[in-house]
Amino acid sequence: MLTRRSLLKKSAVSGVTILAFETCLASPTIPPAPEDLGHHFEFLSLQDRGILSKLIPVILADSLPSSLDEAELSIKEIIIGWDIAVLGLPILTQTELKRLFEVMKSNFILSMTPRLITGVPSAWEDPSEIENFLNKWRKSEPDNFITGNELRVGYMGLVEITVACWYGNPRSWEFCGYYGPINLNSLIP
Amino acid sequence: MVKSKKKFIDYVSKGFEKGWKHIDASLVTSDETLEADVVIVGSGAGGGNTAEILAQVGLYVIIVEEGPLKTSNDFRMKEDEAYSMLYQESASRQTRDRGIKIFQGRMVGGGTGVNWTTSFRTPETTLNFWVDQMGVKGFSESEMSPWFEWVEKRYKIQSWSLPSNANNSVLETGCTRLGIGWGKIKRNVVGCQNLGYCGTGCPTNAKQSTLITTIPGALKEGAMLISKARAENFEIKNGRIISLKCLSMTKRGNAPSKKFFKIRAKHYVLAAGGIGSPAVLLRSKNKIFNPYGIVGKRTFLHPVNLSGAIMPFEVFGEYGAPQTSFSDHYIDTRLDLNKSGFKLECPPLQPMLVATNLEGHGKFHSEIMRKRPFLQVLIALQRDGFHPESIGGSVFLKKDGSPGLDYTVSSYVWDGIRDAFHVMADIQFAAGAKSVSPVHRDAAIYKSPKKAKEAISSLPMEILKARLFSAHVMGGCPMGEDPEKSVVNSEGTHHEVENLSVFDGSVFPTSIGANPMESIFAISAKFSQELAKKIG
Repeated sequence: MLTRRSLLKKSAVSGVTILAFETCLASPTIPPAPEDLGHHFEFLSLQDRGILSKLIPVILADSLPSSLDEAELSIKEIIIGWDIAVLGLPILTQTELKRLFEVMKSNFILSMTPRLITGVPSAWEDPSEIENFLNKWRKSEPDNFITGNELRVGYMGLVEITVACWYGNPRSWEFCGYYGPINLNSLIP
Repeated sequence: MVKSKKKFIDYVSKGFEKGWKHIDASLVTSDETLEADVVIVGSGAGGGNTAEILAQVGLYVIIVEEGPLKTSNDFRMKEDEAYSMLYQESASRQTRDRGIKIFQGRMVGGGTGVNWTTSFRTPETTLNFWVDQMGVKGFSESEMSPWFEWVEKRYKIQSWSLPSNANNSVLETGCTRLGIGWGKIKRNVVGCQNLGYCGTGCPTNAKQSTLITTIPGALKEGAMLISKARAENFEIKNGRIISLKCLSMTKRGNAPSKKFFKIRAKHYVLAAGGIGSPAVLLRSKNKIFNPYGIVGKRTFLHPVNLSGAIMPFEVFGEYGAPQTSFSDHYIDTRLDLNKSGFKLECPPLQPMLVATNLEGHGKFHSEIMRKRPFLQVLIALQRDGFHPESIGGSVFLKKDGSPGLDYTVSSYVWDGIRDAFHVMADIQFAAGAKSVSPVHRDAAIYKSPKKAKEAISSLPMEILKARLFSAHVMGGCPMGEDPEKSVVNSEGTHHEVENLSVFDGSVFPTSIGANPMESIFAISAKFSQELAKKIG
């Protein structure tokens, strides 16, 4: 189970980690959330949306539109899709996802390269730091002294919901060569 | 413009307009107790089939289904709608350690509403194992074949005559070139348009799911369907069940509400599938249901691993009947080698399904997605449950009473999974693949058979590294004659509680070693006819 307590317990073995952890609890500026396009968010907080707005371009890379306006709109729609998708999940899964965002907020800094520890506020703005963060979670091993498999599980959930929200959206189809479902009326003689 | 006449008629919803009895429990406020001769929990292959057979002998049947009632007009071939609407936990159900993703239908029609129509009789080797090793009576090939014939007629299971789509053709070509035997899959369809969207609900009513066959058959006889209600637990008195408590689901359908109602019946049939049926018994919290602690144990999954290939030609695996070819070569040839056998098949390749089941993110992920029209995927289903080491998983209850599954992949099965990665890559390269990538955390994209072979030999076969899946949950209420080793007898009746039966895939003492729908149809038909004789 992904909990802040288990994270703290595991991280307690390392003084350096604790130091980094305290820094992060004290600081990182969560990026501002994009506008909501009129959607009333029930699950994602402003902070969650801000984090997602930075993660999504890194997760989807070349599969997002290259025009800035279109990419921005797509990201907003993915975030709205996230909110809707999570609300359809079992309540226990929703609770786990809430924790995932908590752990992301506090764990992000642990994944950063040392040079940036002093530059915390801007870290969420740096795609290479986000890439680094995602890869650490992706590759985390069950016997890691900080993490365990929880981070791998968190990573998988984060990526899965994000790509589901994008590739379920017709706007993505040109990036995966999909022509959409067959028109039933065309089958009627 | 002349308005075209609609060819694909949603006659199930027309049936309800004409007065078939249906209650959407999420919309009901009264908590009156209902009465029936038989209450059936679940409406999939087991429940739907049972409902028609019992209703036809004049019994008043109530069917309780946790999922929603959706019909062909609701099936719009849109992934973003379908997975959350028609699957357990929005198609994100997983084992406790998140190592295996489980696809289970959750709708009126159950798994038959969203499966890929693949129909196999229970293999003779499986039936023999049950009879010889698991203490099951009446399940020899000759005793079962009339039931297979019967369900093949009822569900129009027949050979598929159109050529396979390119995704399945790769399996055929690769196997042929390597001298590996393969065959064509029978399907339960009538007038199939070869669209490829079986997994999001059949929009043309070609698929002979229980939703359009036996559930209407039961409703025509006066049965009642209750959708969006979760069977919670049985109430017991003097060794007999006196009622079933059901919780109405919320309107959104993802959780039970606090509203409940009871159903009193003479007989109770569990057909909620592997995970679902054991969960009702575990929630009933009475030792009589589980005197030897084996309810929910020996749950099997056919753990599946995947291999992706980029072909030199367009595949467009989202179109065309999704699953039409198979190979049992690695079941047949490994039986005597004491190695985990596996069946080879293909999945459909709609973009959301592909994207959510790939490993990785960023450039790696988006490169594969951009080449998706050329993507070909093979799957290998491990035949679990036939070896002392392959004991399956165990159903448990979470703190909110919903079921979860612990499943440890044994080293015996892991060996089979690694061998399957090798075999799938070989087949894909033999069919002309430009590159192959096993779906594994540590795998790259390999451009030659040699590189793939080297890499697969050293990939760690560990949970959460090799990505594993299951679309076949079986077992958990195994049948047999020994009450200490089985939950129900060889007629599907509970050993201790005589007015309780289990008629679904949870009674299998092992996995099937083939897609289980036809096995569930045949076993539930056999059980229901026997029950009808007793109480009809």
